Amino acid sequence: MKDTRRTRVVLGALLVVALAMITIDHRGGDDSPLRGLRGIGATVFGPVERASASVVRPVTDTFETIGDAPGQRRRADRLERENQELRERLRGARIDEDKAAQLQRLLGTAGMGGYKILAGQVISAGQGFEDTVTIDVGSRSGVKRDMTVLSAEGLVGRVTRVGPATATVLLATDQTSSIGSRLEGSKEIGIVQGGGRRGLGGQSETPLRFQLLDAAAPIHVGQRIVTLGSQGQRPFVPGVPIGVVERIERSTGGLTRTAYVRPFVRFTSLDVVAVVVAPPKKNPRDAVLPPKPKPPATPSASPSARPSQSPRGDDPSPRPSGSRSPSTEPNAGD
Amino acid sequence: MLNPPEASPAGRTAVTALLIVAALILQVSVANRLPLPGGVQPDLVLLAVVALALVAGSMTGMVTGFLAGLAADIIPPADHTLGRYALVYCLIGYLCGVASTEMDRQSAVPFFAVAAGALAGTVLYAGTGMMLGDPRAEWATVSSMVPLQVLYTVLASPFVVWAVLRATRRYERGERSRGDGLSVPVARYRAMSGRGGGL
Repeated sequence: MKDTRRTRVVLGALLVVALAMITIDHRGGDDSPLRGLRGIGATVFGPVERASASVVRPVTDTFETIGDAPGQRRRADRLERENQELRERLRGARIDEDKAAQLQRLLGTAGMGGYKILAGQVISAGQGFEDTVTIDVGSRSGVKRDMTVLSAEGLVGRVTRVGPATATVLLATDQTSSIGSRLEGSKEIGIVQGGGRRGLGGQSETPLRFQLLDAAAPIHVGQRIVTLGSQGQRPFVPGVPIGVVERIERSTGGLTRTAYVRPFVRFTSLDVVAVVVAPPKKNPRDAVLPPKPKPPATPSASPSARPSQSPRGDDPSPRPSGSRSPSTEPNAGD
Repeated sequence: MLNPPEASPAGRTAVTALLIVAALILQVSVANRLPLPGGVQPDLVLLAVVALALVAGSMTGMVTGFLAGLAADIIPPADHTLGRYALVYCLIGYLCGVASTEMDRQSAVPFFAVAAGALAGTVLYAGTGMMLGDPRAEWATVSSMVPLQVLYTVLASPFVVWAVLRATRRYERGERSRGDGLSVPVARYRAMSGRGGGL
C-alpha cells in the first residue's frame, strides 16, 4: 500500500500551501503579494507560448475553419474564391497576406479614431471560466496595464497583466468585465457587461449585456454602442465600437434597462489585435463606427442615428502602411 | 515502491515535467482556442495529472498535481485566484494515485478512473470558485459548463493517456531493472488506450 503516513503528511502540507496561496491571493486582490509568482509565470511561459503559437497556428486555423463552416458558408465560399486568387498570386505567403490585410484594416480603424496602436497577435487563451487571451507584445514593447485592446472590427478588451514579452487581455465577454459605454447618436450612457465564454455559450449571438443607466431613455434594436472612455483614458479610450443592440429586455421594474448586444468582434477567432498605447487627443465619438449597412427601422427617433459626421470632420487619415506602431494624429480642429 | 526515490528519479522527474509543460502549452495555445460548441474546452493538464498518478502512484501524483496546478495558475493568460488549480490537481493526483492500486485487477477501471478524475477535478475547480465568490463561477454558468467540460475531457482522455504512457514507457525501457508491479497496470492502460484511441 502506497498510502503511507509520509504520503499523507506531504499531501497535507501541499494542501495547506495551496489553501494559503488561495487565501493570500484572494485577499490581496490586484496587489497580492503573490503577483511576483505570476510575473515568473509570464517570464517563463510567455516566450514558450510565443514560440509554440507559430507552430500550432495552422492547426488552430484549421479547427476554426471547420467550426465556423455551418454558419458562414456563403462567406466562406467568397473567402475561398478570394483565397484561391491570392494563392495563385502569392503562393506560399498566404498567412502573411492574411495578416497584412487584417493589419491594414486595423490601421484604418486606428487612424479614424486617432489612436496610437501597437499591433500584436493572440497566442493563447484562458482555461476554465475565464475569457482571457495572451498577446505577443509586452512591457518591452511599451504595453502597460489597463490599456485598451481593439481589433479592426471593434473593442476586444483591456490589458490586465503584462509580462516582458506577453500581455494578458481580459476580453469584453468575460463575466468580470464591465465597460462604460454610450449609445450611438443619443448620447445615453450605460454599462456593457460580459456574459462569459467568448460568446459560445447559450446566448451565442449576444454575449454582451448593455445596461442603460437611465431606464426611460430611448433605445432601439439596431443602435450601436461605442465606449464612453474612462477617466484618464484608461482602461478604455473613448469611441471604440463595441456592438449592435440585438434585443431589448422589457423592463421588469428594475432601475435600469437591459439590452443584449452582438459585438462587432468575433471573439472566437481573434487573431491580429492592437493595443492602444496612446489615446486619441480628442474623443472620436461615433466616427470609428463602420458606415451603417442599410439603416433598419431605427433612425426615426434619434436625430443623429446615422454615423454622425462629427463636427471636426475626421477624414479617414492617411494610413501609414507597413509601420509597426503607426500613429495618426487626429485633426487638430480647434 | 512507486514513490519517486527510485532507480533514477532524475530521469523520471524530467519526463514528468516535460509532459506537464507540453500539456500546459497545448492547453493554452491549442485546446483553449478551439471554438467547440458550448464554449468549453477539455482540460488536458488534468488528464495528464490523472494519467501520471495512475502510472506512478499517489506520491508522484500529488506532487505532480500540485506543481502542474501551480503552473496552470501562473501561466498567462490565467486570471483566477492563485492556488486554485494547485489545490484541485493535488487532490486529484493523490486520489488517482490511491485508486491506481485497486486498478490492477480489473481492466475497465482505468478509463473509468480517468473519467471520474475529470469529473471530480472540474467540479472541485468550480466549487473553489463558488466558495471564493468568483463572479464567473455562478451556478447558472457552472451547471451548464461542467457537464460539457467533463464530456470533452473524457473524449480527449484516450489521446492524453496514450501520450503519457508512451512517454513514461520510453523512459522505463532504459530504466527497467526491477520488474515490479508497475509493468502490469502500464501494459493494461496501454492496451486499453490503444483500443480507446482507435474508436
